[in-house]
Amino acid sequence: MNCRDCVEKLHRYVDRELTDVEVAEVKRHLEDCPPCEETYQLQVHVKRLVKVCCDQGAAPEKLRSRLRQILY
Amino acid sequence: MVPVAEHPVDTDAQQRFADEAIGYLDTLYRGALRLTRDPAQAEDLVQDTYVRALRYQGSYQVGTNMKAWLFAIMRNLFWDRFKGGRPDDVSLDGDGEFALYDTLKDPTAVPEADVLDRIAAEEVVRAVEKLPELHREVVLLVDVEGFSYKDAADVLGVPIGTVMSRLHRARRQLQRSLYDYASESGIVHEQGSGS
Repeated sequence: MNCRDCVEKLHRYVDRELTDVEVAEVKRHLEDCPPCEETYQLQVHVKRLVKVCCDQGAAPEKLRSRLRQILY
Repeated sequence: MVPVAEHPVDTDAQQRFADEAIGYLDTLYRGALRLTRDPAQAEDLVQDTYVRALRYQGSYQVGTNMKAWLFAIMRNLFWDRFKGGRPDDVSLDGDGEFALYDTLKDPTAVPEADVLDRIAAEEVVRAVEKLPELHREVVLLVDVEGFSYKDAADVLGVPIGTVMSRLHRARRQLQRSLYDYASESGIVHEQGSGS
């Protein structure tokens, strides 16, 4: 696998959307290629950051009460 | 024939449906906030989503992905109510956004990982909310909610390839936004030094 192929697969690698064979290929390449490993780390980091930062906060209680009246 | 969707007779099933649905309230509300960028509109959108879910609960198959089902309802309502119609034309992806993508290919214009940790959460949220809706909703589904590409594609009603291309562009733009913020706020210098 060359860098171009690796970078092309990185999003799917980060998102666990590759086959086992492809995962093994990407892993092998990343072990031997610091620039691609750096790109990978950045992508993992941004994904995690987005998850953590956007996944905070609860729905307002008044909305919850209204929905309970609607649903039950 | 009993009109199940409108007048459910099985109260146990109704209770289970309500329990499961209300369990997704916080996550739906956060999603609605990201989509509408407005708390009042987010509340309206979520409430309408539940009203519609209740009305069409007969079409929900027990045991399938209720979160995806609710997100699909909410997403469609969002486009219908706030954007004047659903973006079912894939060509909407094109033109200006391709040009934008091309300008982002400079490999030095990305923040380093340690720099990202010093960016405030609200700036990350702002960067997400700055994404065009078509890109924002994919990031919301895949990165925030952890949907598979297949589930995201089902929610959005587009092919998996479209999910992937929107996701790539969204992430590229996010990286750029975070890099710009880090540069402007002095967290990182233009040349990418993390110090």
